[in-house]
Amino acid sequence: MAGQPLHEIGPAGVGFEASALGFTLALAASWMGPAGLFWAGEDSAFAEEGAPYPVGLAQFGLSLEPTIVVRAKKREDALWAAEQALAATGAIVICALGAQGKPLDLKASRRLLLFAERNRSRCLLLMPANGPSAAWTRWQVAAAESNAIADEVGPPAFRVEITRNRAGPAGSSFTLDWNAHQQRFSERFQEKHAALEARQA
Amino acid sequence: MSGARWLAIYLPRLRTDRLIRAGRGPSDDRPLAVYSKEGGAFQLNGVDARASVLGLNLAMSLADARAMQPALQAVEAEPEEDARALDNIAAWCERFTPIVVLDPPEGLFLDISGCAHLFGGEENLRAEIVTRLRAQGFGARAEIAATPGAAWAFARYRQKRSAAEQSLRAQLSASLADGDDGLQSLAPLPIEALRLDADAAALMRRLGLKTVSQIAAAPRSSFTARAGERAMLRLDQALGRAPEVMTPRRPAPMIFALRRFLEPIFTSDAILQVAEDLCIDAAGKLELRGAGILYAELVLFGVDGRDRVVAINASRPLREVKPLMRLFREKLNVAAGNFDAQFGFEAARLDIVRLASIEERARALVSVEEAAANAEQIGGIIDILSSRLGAKRVVRPQLHEQHEPERAAGWRSALGKAKVEATPVNPPTDGVQRRPVRLFAPAQPIEVMASVPDGPPIRFRWRRVTREVVRAEGPERISGDWLRREMTRDYYRVEDKQGRRYWLYREGLYGESDAVPRWFVHGLFA
Repeated sequence: MAGQPLHEIGPAGVGFEASALGFTLALAASWMGPAGLFWAGEDSAFAEEGAPYPVGLAQFGLSLEPTIVVRAKKREDALWAAEQALAATGAIVICALGAQGKPLDLKASRRLLLFAERNRSRCLLLMPANGPSAAWTRWQVAAAESNAIADEVGPPAFRVEITRNRAGPAGSSFTLDWNAHQQRFSERFQEKHAALEARQA
Repeated sequence: MSGARWLAIYLPRLRTDRLIRAGRGPSDDRPLAVYSKEGGAFQLNGVDARASVLGLNLAMSLADARAMQPALQAVEAEPEEDARALDNIAAWCERFTPIVVLDPPEGLFLDISGCAHLFGGEENLRAEIVTRLRAQGFGARAEIAATPGAAWAFARYRQKRSAAEQSLRAQLSASLADGDDGLQSLAPLPIEALRLDADAAALMRRLGLKTVSQIAAAPRSSFTARAGERAMLRLDQALGRAPEVMTPRRPAPMIFALRRFLEPIFTSDAILQVAEDLCIDAAGKLELRGAGILYAELVLFGVDGRDRVVAINASRPLREVKPLMRLFREKLNVAAGNFDAQFGFEAARLDIVRLASIEERARALVSVEEAAANAEQIGGIIDILSSRLGAKRVVRPQLHEQHEPERAAGWRSALGKAKVEATPVNPPTDGVQRRPVRLFAPAQPIEVMASVPDGPPIRFRWRRVTREVVRAEGPERISGDWLRREMTRDYYRVEDKQGRRYWLYREGLYGESDAVPRWFVHGLFA
């Protein structure tokens, strides 16, 4: 996944937007290089789920210094900003779209892919709606129960499912804990995952 | 002050010209005068050409003038409107040079050093300004000299030149320019040509000093009285022997480049071409200083007398034409729709308002070192994003040394340097998040349906969905700012049955008041 230039990430359902964002930020934090992170989002994407909070982002493992946030009035502006940012060699670009409006058209995602391929940069397309897209993979993200004793709240945890994969099989799902300190994921035991699924069903 | 050239404009009938131009003059051929109250009497302080021909002048009171010309139309002076008119004319004059100095009530100074060649020489520039001001309804006289003082004196007191002399001057303007404004040309002028106030001039005349030559010839030591010293200083300034501080109407740019067009330009392509030419001009001057542009304004002068300004901001000093043009292209694309270029633009000027030195070393290594190249790329992207979307929309995160969650972080324009942290926030070693990645501003109220007394909620409703709390940690007590009349908050990190995490708080302490405590969701954890 890390080698591919364009990925799509969305919430597994209403109410999991923060999880989808968290998973996206975790990927960005673990990939981030000297070219830094551009986070271009529609105003509506920022307004509905709350504004990015730098203190929380730093605790999450995101390096703030090379991070630039672009607040776009319209979807076209957000996409345009993402395209511009992808021109930076090796940059990580998050393009966050709001829940309103039609799903992204194929042409827009092809353009992002093209820009990213040309400049060895990578784009994470965070969008609630599922639609046709040039992305290599699409990930549906939900929250996962804390991996902690008693009633303590543990580190960030995600239940992710690959719903589309141009390079391999789709449909596999797993539970990941994010270690902000080491900036890496660890996969949870299979049986625990199964137990959780059973509980949610 | 060698090489300095000043053009003084004198608008002798500004007050009446302004009224006539605004359609407030007489509709028939009656004379027009402007008066103001001075020392209890109404005194004329402006007469139009017609009134002047009929023998009215500024020494008269309104009553005398009316007695002489019963048909006189008299308007009370509006000094503020007059000042505004003068300022508008000054703004219009900025198409000839960025350095225009107001000389109220009816004069202007233009520093035209190094500008005249763009307008076909000094004489052509002078003639163009006078002709075009006339065409706009303002009678004007203008003269050029090496000092503001001399130009001022010539514009007001030198006899009108004959047409033959003017054409001769046009041909020889360069060679004549130098010897022209010494003491010889000033000497025959009346004492008032030295920019003295009325009292000082009257005093000089009482002493028998009527012309500049008489002052120049008089021994300096005899000028001990204040009025005399003043006259001597003014003479020295006019001759360039004493410095004079001139304050331009707008701060003068560090560097500027100016172009004017034989034919007005209309299209954005033509404007871009001009911008490029100006950037090339400016780049040469920047090179000499070892500097680059941080902030620059492209001023477009409309034929209709209205100006448009296109400003660019750079995150690091720029001197190369290509990146500068990318910024202008973005700005012009956005602005083109707002340009009402119906009449076209006749001149353009690039003002470099802020600049910074470029480190030569960094420039040499750019192609070699990838990190530097990357920084350059990112700087360029920030510039483009900021110029199209606005600097407020392209931001960097910032941390502040503040206790209250809302004030502990902020954002500022990415055009500045990347310096975020007062004290860096590191990810906690246990990986457990104490602060959310998203913060609601303001916090959103929730309905708590069941709670442990003085503890976290067991069940709450937010966005019309009931959420069962399965895990909770807290409270973290954050006392409110007394000055802002904020209440103490008890924060809890809670997780619901689906694994979603919230940052909740209860406002106020239990028992602090009788009111039921209110609950809010302040942020969401990932």
